[in-house]
Amino acid sequence: MPSIFRTRVQRAAFHRDHHRQSLLDIYRISSSTSDSRAQTIDDTPADLILTALTPSTPTSSSPSPHSSRLYSSSTEVLLGITGKDFTIVAASKAAMRGATILKASDDKTRALNSHSLMAFSGEAGDTIQFAEYIQANIQLYSMRNAMDLSPSATANFVRGELARALRSRKPYTVNLLLGGYDQITDKPSLYWIDYLASLAPLPYAAHGYAQYYCLSILDKHHHPDITFEQGMKILRMCTDELKRRLPVDFKGVLVKVITKDGIREEEYADDHSVACP
Amino acid sequence: MASVFAGAPPNGAPGYSFAQTPTAAPAGIREHSFYPYTDNGGSTLGISGADFSILAGDTRSTSGYSINTRYAPKLFKIGGEGPESKGARIVLSVVGFAADGEALKERLDTIVKMYKYQHGKPMSVAACAQRLSHILYGKRFFPYYVTAILGGLDEEGKGALYSYDPVGSYEREQCRAAGAAASLIMPFLDNQVNFKNQYIPGSGEGHALQQRVPEPLPRKDVEELVKDAFTSAVERHIEVGDGLQMMIITKDGIEEIYEELKKD
Amino acid sequence: MGSPFSINGGACVAMVGKDCVAIACDLRLGMQALTVSNNFPKIFPYGDVYLGLTGLATDVSTVSDLFRYKVNMYRLREERPISPQTMANLVSSTLYERRFGPYFVSPVVAGINHTTGKPFICGFDSIGCIDFAKDFIVSGTASDQLFGTCEGLWEPDLAPEDLFETVSQALLNAVDRDALSGWGAHVYIIEKDKVTKRLLKGRQD
Repeated sequence: MPSIFRTRVQRAAFHRDHHRQSLLDIYRISSSTSDSRAQTIDDTPADLILTALTPSTPTSSSPSPHSSRLYSSSTEVLLGITGKDFTIVAASKAAMRGATILKASDDKTRALNSHSLMAFSGEAGDTIQFAEYIQANIQLYSMRNAMDLSPSATANFVRGELARALRSRKPYTVNLLLGGYDQITDKPSLYWIDYLASLAPLPYAAHGYAQYYCLSILDKHHHPDITFEQGMKILRMCTDELKRRLPVDFKGVLVKVITKDGIREEEYADDHSVACP
Repeated sequence: MASVFAGAPPNGAPGYSFAQTPTAAPAGIREHSFYPYTDNGGSTLGISGADFSILAGDTRSTSGYSINTRYAPKLFKIGGEGPESKGARIVLSVVGFAADGEALKERLDTIVKMYKYQHGKPMSVAACAQRLSHILYGKRFFPYYVTAILGGLDEEGKGALYSYDPVGSYEREQCRAAGAAASLIMPFLDNQVNFKNQYIPGSGEGHALQQRVPEPLPRKDVEELVKDAFTSAVERHIEVGDGLQMMIITKDGIEEIYEELKKD
Repeated sequence: MGSPFSINGGACVAMVGKDCVAIACDLRLGMQALTVSNNFPKIFPYGDVYLGLTGLATDVSTVSDLFRYKVNMYRLREERPISPQTMANLVSSTLYERRFGPYFVSPVVAGINHTTGKPFICGFDSIGCIDFAKDFIVSGTASDQLFGTCEGLWEPDLAPEDLFETVSQALLNAVDRDALSGWGAHVYIIEKDKVTKRLLKGRQD
């Protein structure tokens, strides 16, 4: 096998990012294309790098980068419901790494400013890295301008950053829900953003497998001017269905609510068992 | 269809449809295999009326970007006497792999004739339609690579039209387009024959708005529709053109019309 | 995963009439077979010029945002609105800048040139090759179906109301035969001194 990391850029990348999947991507790119720039021979032994790669690649056939990535993010649950004067955002509490649950009280959300909340799922390192980068920038905006960015502006900023990263050397594999309350129009809002940076404003949304179980329930029961209590009732129907049908235990959901008064955590009991027919 | 026959065409071999992309031959060990199918392009369509059925097909035959011939009929009379198929009351149209189409036509023709000799009466279209389904399904694991449409008159004298997939799944319909330009023609037919997305003006608000009810069209209108559909398809699809063959089945027999289409 | 052009689905069509043009799009946004949103318009108005974008949803947003910026900058610098012809060349050169890493979109431009008063439509491939058409332009996952319906229904010199009916029927019937498009439509009828935007419900499946 010839030297894999040939260019200076790629070598620097190796030292910066310790995530193995990203290395796989670089490996795929540099090995599949005969790059004319790749003339400067690297002094890093190729075998050494390959050794670092192999543990994450199961056996001989190398899987597509998406199949292994999306698996864990698909079993993570993100749900969002808007109503008359509120937005509910729910995120599963399990922090998973392969088949192992590392934590049962994980918070997959970050408050961006007083009235917008971002929930995230996806590849382990990317999620928090991206979320906190966004959080810092939105907060910086609030400090500099002495006013908050509106939810729609926030959503478009987040999308822009994710889209920019998408065409960079190392894209973020992160799915997002942006719940907010627009204080100017006095309306709740919810934005759905996937890892390709597709942005859709929606009345209710989900990510991962939760989409297949919950969207149909929401299609049937949701209405734009439901009350908060009705919203929670629909959320309960969704989480019960997930408990019933998802093959993995997602350790319940953490529920946050955004209203005109700001963001608050909502008590959500998930110790009851759900009967499966 | 890919699920039915997963074998890819051999590399660099000529004469495949545009849907299949022949890739460059890989270096090293080369495996030779025989791919038994070719796509000869072209399109067919059928529309049934109150007392008639029309089947139509273009007459171009292609292999890749080449034209084999400008006159290769895709419409066949079934169960008639002699080389002219005298007295036939059923028409079969086949599009896809022309050799399979020809073989299928021969088989069905023989069966319908044998039926007449053995039972002393002509086969009904419904019976013929079901028989065709069985023929196709009989080759479930080495299918006739064709999309068939069968037309005739039912026992009440109404226009009857049956459409098939290559392995024999079939359905009686008002209209159907098949072949290379099916995706172009079918939505046009939905609109013009079954009046899809057409509403009666002023008949109500929102969900109360009345849909325009489809009714069998007069023969003249249908003929015009068929010609429009094909001249449209010829403009935008390179595998369709040269000639338009139409067969109109009425109680008086089968009338055949041939018209020129663009040859570019 | 298939082609980037057909992950999200969508369709767009533009047509020329007598002293008017029409541009219409569907509203679906999906991820393969799953429909995520039924309110994702693919036509973006930039003053007098209208841009339709189908293809990868993320690039639809990126490219529409980029052109909003570029058209605004053009108007500020030139102190006049952009003409459809100039817009066409702007789209073409912008897309070709990304020749070896394209935006996965198939744009359509429609508008009336206010200097000549003539209707103008054109389409592009993802790297900016312009298709100037006198009749109609189609794009998206239902482009085959749209070619069929437009070729069958369109005729020259349609009046605005007739053009609306023609473009709507062409789009609605085309997307009903495409699993990745549909869920309602937006239709713009652009005349010299008037633009009418209509929302069509269409089949919700």
